[in-house]
Amino acid sequence: MGERLLDVRELEPPEPLERVLELLDTLAAGDSLRMLHRRQPNLLYPILEREGFAHRTTATAEGDFEILIWRKQV
Amino acid sequence: MLPAGLSFDQAPPIAVPFRFFLTAPLFLLAAAILLVAYGPEMLLSRHMPATLAATHLLTLGFTSMVMCGAMMQMLPVVAGAPVPAPRLVAWTVHLSLATGAAGVAASFLWGRPVLMHLGGGLAALGFGVFLAAAAWSLAHVRSRSPSVPAMGFSIASLAVTAALGLTLGIARQGGLDIPYVQFSLLHPMWGLYGWTALLVMGVAYQVVPMFQLTPNYPKAITTWLAGGLFLLLILRSAAEFTLLPPAVPGVALAAGAGVFAIATLRLQGRRKRKISDATLLFWRVGMGLLLAACLLWLAAALLPAEAAERARLLLGIAALPGFILAVINGMLYKIVPFLAWFHLQSRYVGKTAIPNMKQLQPDRPARGQMALYLAALALLAGAVFWPPLARLSGLLWLASALWLERNLLRALILYRRTVALATAKKSD
Repeated sequence: MGERLLDVRELEPPEPLERVLELLDTLAAGDSLRMLHRRQPNLLYPILEREGFAHRTTATAEGDFEILIWRKQV
Repeated sequence: MLPAGLSFDQAPPIAVPFRFFLTAPLFLLAAAILLVAYGPEMLLSRHMPATLAATHLLTLGFTSMVMCGAMMQMLPVVAGAPVPAPRLVAWTVHLSLATGAAGVAASFLWGRPVLMHLGGGLAALGFGVFLAAAAWSLAHVRSRSPSVPAMGFSIASLAVTAALGLTLGIARQGGLDIPYVQFSLLHPMWGLYGWTALLVMGVAYQVVPMFQLTPNYPKAITTWLAGGLFLLLILRSAAEFTLLPPAVPGVALAAGAGVFAIATLRLQGRRKRKISDATLLFWRVGMGLLLAACLLWLAAALLPAEAAERARLLLGIAALPGFILAVINGMLYKIVPFLAWFHLQSRYVGKTAIPNMKQLQPDRPARGQMALYLAALALLAGAVFWPPLARLSGLLWLASALWLERNLLRALILYRRTVALATAKKSD
């Protein structure tokens, strides 16, 4: 059970999406990914849904977004 | 059947925006050919036939072409409001604008009324369909993005511009009695300032922070500026027909554009990442030119008659081939590879290697084209003072337009090649 961190706050679109999609491929069941983003990744959510991932987004005090992603149990 | 996409369920098929973006540089090329052919006489006044023809090739064929294509892409994605019947709307708007631009330009050039009626009618049809689709889309908006109100004011201004243009076109052929001088002043104002600059603002609120990694625009600007400027455009128009002094809304309009330019330059100065690219540089140049246009606007109001005429000509150059072309040219270098990447990603990921943004749109040729664009613009401004420069400027515009088309085609070719690879693998 590990948590990985992906900070994409200083990347230009669509690099954040490219990076997170790469990482999702290697995310094992029970692992989670914490993503730091400057905006809500609206393009990412439907992909997560389709690929069987769950997510929870919270706004940080600095005005960024933190997206926690994990594989849904089947 | 293709697998489900990157849920850009809302996004129209790639052919919808691409046909607009790849046709537009051809009109830039046509305008450049006019400058080469007619040279210095085009800089005598904005009312010279070849100047009017080139201006409409730029506004109808290049800027409106790209803006309509981009809006049909942005409304669904940014505002969450799909455009109805995207293929049919795109097909009609694209064909009407392309033929309308050619018809109107040819009519100015050769003085054939039938071409004006045909071209004006076609352009009106294209804008009419676009306005109906965009208005329907905006009425169904679910997003509270600050871009949405500015887009609304922009398309309302397009309706005014098109109505004034159509009326002027008919009156020019002697079919209508209108206050021609006033209308011919208000038509470019609503087109360049209302339809174009207000849309640039709306788009900037979204794409400058997102793509150029700057802080967001101040809330006071995104909330009030576009609506305030729209109101000032109405007041400035009313001043032509009432006792209202035109200088008051006029100066306020220049100042408003200046506020936007300075705010954008300041945000860009506070970027988190220090790497620049062609789009960012084009936008910085564009904002500098907008600021220059504001100062020339004021100068034209203050200077004595002969100097004021020259200032007005320079104002036109700073605004249209300057600010507007720079911003749109820069935007094309982001939107074309982004759409190509996005469609590849959504349909063919896992089937073949997807090229990244920099492969779809390398920065070096884009910067090269920008250098050529800047040289062409500088010579055009120089030709206001020394007219023999006009033809040389035209040659550089011609080369710049060809290079832009070549750079955009590179992304399309790589897109097609990747699709071919992916589908070939699938059938193995």
